Amino acid sequence: MSSKNTIENQSGIDTGINKFEKESVEAPRYSCALAGVYGTTLGIRGGIPILHSGAGCGVGQLFGTLYAGGESAGGNEGGTSTPCSCLVEEHVILGGEEKLRNLIESTIEIANDELFVVTSGCVPSLIGDDVDQVVDEFRDQAAIIHVNAPGFKANSSEGYNLFWDAIIDQLLPDEYLESEEKTVNIFGVVPYNHVYWKGDLLTIKTLLESIGIKTNIIFTEKNGLDHIKKIPQAEYNIVVNPWLGVRAVEKLEEKYGTPFIKFPNVPVGAKQTAEFLRIVGEKLSIPSETVENYIAEKEDWYYRLMEYPGDAIILVRPNSFYAVAAESSYAIAFTKFLANELGYLPDIIQITDNPPIEVREEIIREIRDNLDTVVQPDIIFEADTYKIRKNLENRPFLFLFSSSIEAPTSIEDYNALHIPISYPIYNRSVLAKHYSGYDGGLTVVEDVVSGFVGPL
Amino acid sequence: MVHGNGHHRGSCRKNKIKRILDLDKDTCPNREQRANGTNVYYGKASQLLQDAKEGNINIPDRKFQQSGGCVLNFYLSNRVTTIRDAVTIFNAPVGCSAGSLGYRELYRGVPEALGRTNEYNNAWLTTNLQQEDVIYGASEKLRDAILKAEERYHPQAIFILTSCTTGIIGEDIEGTVDEVQAEVNAKIVPIHCEGIRSRLVQTGYDAFWHAILKYLVKEPEKKQDDLVNVASMLSYTWQDRLEIKRLLGKLGLRVNFIPEFATVSDFEQLSEAAVTAPICPTYTDYLSRGLEQKYGVPYFLYPSPVGFSSTDEWLRNIAKYTGKEDEVEKLIEEEHKIWEPKLNAIKQEFVSLRKNGEKPTVLGSLGQGRLVSQMPYFDELGLATPAAMAQDFDDLLIDELEEIVEKSGDFQLMVNTFQAAEQANVTTNLDPDLTLTCPFQGGTWERDNNVTRIHSLRGDPEPTSAQAGYAGAVAFGNFLLHAFKNRSYHKTLSEKTEKSYKDWWYEQDNPLYYLNESK
Repeated sequence: MSSKNTIENQSGIDTGINKFEKESVEAPRYSCALAGVYGTTLGIRGGIPILHSGAGCGVGQLFGTLYAGGESAGGNEGGTSTPCSCLVEEHVILGGEEKLRNLIESTIEIANDELFVVTSGCVPSLIGDDVDQVVDEFRDQAAIIHVNAPGFKANSSEGYNLFWDAIIDQLLPDEYLESEEKTVNIFGVVPYNHVYWKGDLLTIKTLLESIGIKTNIIFTEKNGLDHIKKIPQAEYNIVVNPWLGVRAVEKLEEKYGTPFIKFPNVPVGAKQTAEFLRIVGEKLSIPSETVENYIAEKEDWYYRLMEYPGDAIILVRPNSFYAVAAESSYAIAFTKFLANELGYLPDIIQITDNPPIEVREEIIREIRDNLDTVVQPDIIFEADTYKIRKNLENRPFLFLFSSSIEAPTSIEDYNALHIPISYPIYNRSVLAKHYSGYDGGLTVVEDVVSGFVGPL
Repeated sequence: MVHGNGHHRGSCRKNKIKRILDLDKDTCPNREQRANGTNVYYGKASQLLQDAKEGNINIPDRKFQQSGGCVLNFYLSNRVTTIRDAVTIFNAPVGCSAGSLGYRELYRGVPEALGRTNEYNNAWLTTNLQQEDVIYGASEKLRDAILKAEERYHPQAIFILTSCTTGIIGEDIEGTVDEVQAEVNAKIVPIHCEGIRSRLVQTGYDAFWHAILKYLVKEPEKKQDDLVNVASMLSYTWQDRLEIKRLLGKLGLRVNFIPEFATVSDFEQLSEAAVTAPICPTYTDYLSRGLEQKYGVPYFLYPSPVGFSSTDEWLRNIAKYTGKEDEVEKLIEEEHKIWEPKLNAIKQEFVSLRKNGEKPTVLGSLGQGRLVSQMPYFDELGLATPAAMAQDFDDLLIDELEEIVEKSGDFQLMVNTFQAAEQANVTTNLDPDLTLTCPFQGGTWERDNNVTRIHSLRGDPEPTSAQAGYAGAVAFGNFLLHAFKNRSYHKTLSEKTEKSYKDWWYEQDNPLYYLNESK
């Protein structure tokens, strides 16, 4: 199955497998490294970003990360509440270290937070501030790290990786801690950039706890710093992304010997979820009976519910073509779910988060090798919105799963119903909603069918 | 041709603010230099006026500071990207433009039945600067982006927005533009909005208008005596545009709304208008003065059409420059007949909300331009404004502020650009009956007293969200009343969630606690 040919698109359209986007680009569906660190820090309860940057980086990411991540307000530490050294020309000339020192000191005094994430943007990097040295002065006063994240270094997804590099290298202890059995940490769900992060993380936790595995999802839960400190104790790390969080789990294996289990995506729907539970259950020596009983119980419930939309699907939109333009993890998950559980036909899959070249073949294979249909979609790595939209023209798909960029004109441009699944999503208030797990799969079906259903 | 001194009060300010426009320069002077601006103050309004007159305004550094926006990312990016037949290029690393990702959705919520055209396809690109570009320079990438924009969209204009990074590495934007201009049909318009250039985000407004005046505005072919320039802000809604259009339409006048959702030809004809009218003076200032200086288009900066008396005066000012003095009095009379009973009903309700006969107090967080027009409006409604927060202050509006202090008495004035901690401190300590917030400012809205928004946004087509003109004065008055009728959302949240700052911050009463006085 895995011959060289299957990587390429049957239609001849270039997969873009070797094109890592570094050129000028139209409305890419990611932000910069600083934004990724910023969003990730805000995902930690009690985490506060301290931006060492120009004054607009926080406000810019209020619009470009938080609002774009399911219309989220900034909360106590985000948006215009984010401490920022607000560098201007005189700092460019004289240096910004003193300004940063003052800012860290006052932030520790005033903020109701416990993890301080000094995040350097473009300006200090260009003027050569020694940020590490300033941060060192505070290490015995507070849990503080420095993430060097100038916007020209990497994109926002990679910012998540940079955040974990800093946590593991600067904050977590060197010594080996006795691991606790049947406990795991979850990596690879990026706050805000993976727009349904809050609900998906909670779902993964609930699923694993149902089969007796204590799960540290780190983000969204009270006392975030405690959750970070517990990371070394896990028996396993689990990563649900082809590239985000992978470096973190590799580092943790190196540092603490914690093995990891890697999935290419968050599990969406019954089939992916059962597979996820079986693999994790086996690795963590959960009795297979426990796992199988749980799966059987959930499937019984799930598949009865899947029957309800049957008339609407069969009468109105059975076996429909669909297009996906999303970040790696959800692109894989949705493509598999729609083909394998709803009987839909994958037309074109565009991966929009500019993953590193090294993981691209793996992403294509994960899709190509796991579809229960004779239809092979075109799979394309593309970051440029103009090209993404061009690639969608004159194709048979009736459903478009992408960011809200396409939402206003999806019908007039492509005659397709639009379902927002990937950053940026401005047209949904995303709180607990999720697509992972059993109920998440049903939510996909609700969203799809609700787009066309009416009196039959 | 009418050469206008737009100032209805004939003050000496025209001499004081020098001729600003030097279009040979690549960009405008910063607000700090042009108008002695600041965004750090807390105290009596009268003291600030005194300081301003004596030239004692400065911008000391804060020890604790929050991300309040930069010259680029204080909506400049979000305004330019709404221009319908233009493409915007962010000459920047990829993050500076992320806030503009809503560009295709911004106005789509406005129904076409309300006059929104569907004929547009705006777009933006980023040069997506990488480490190697920072070292070797990025002019090739800018050139590439310009050519892509031209090839993909054949736009009327291509705007280039600069960034901290291009500023620091010393990119020669104009050099690249000069080279590429001959290869494209679109007019290339570079805007210098490097975040590091100024502490005052309002410099971004001026930088934008400088570029518009330098590159886009055409020599007038004919005077359009019935055309009124109005620079529309994101803080005015679609309904406000409709109300302004309706009122001026009754006078037989047409409105040239720029820059939001405008076309390039709307900019080109700015020089042909009869007058430039404000809806936010701090925003429009540079454009208004520039159009007068270069093309003799008269202007006025005060008031904005907010509240009845200001709308009356705004209309009269416009009428003066368009020869509609008689018609305008008839219009004002007609409109008052329709709307005044409705306003009176609202005033009555506010009277019934008085405790011990005292007017309800309102604390608004406003731009300086909004401050001078909104405070008289609150007075009309029967609300007291013992304090106000302004994003900025400079000597462009001294006279207007002085008039307010004379008329309504002195008040506490806080000047800062989205400093959430300072605003939380003041709001807690003054504990007004109603706080009007721009919610971007963080956690200050979680209070056990009444809170609502200070203004709605451009894409809101709902009549109850209107704010301008007579219809807006009534709609916004009603809207404010709603805030007194149910506060369970923010009250519950203030009880159930943690505060942003430690208790001591709210318990001491100096919002400028972290000011570095030494500077």
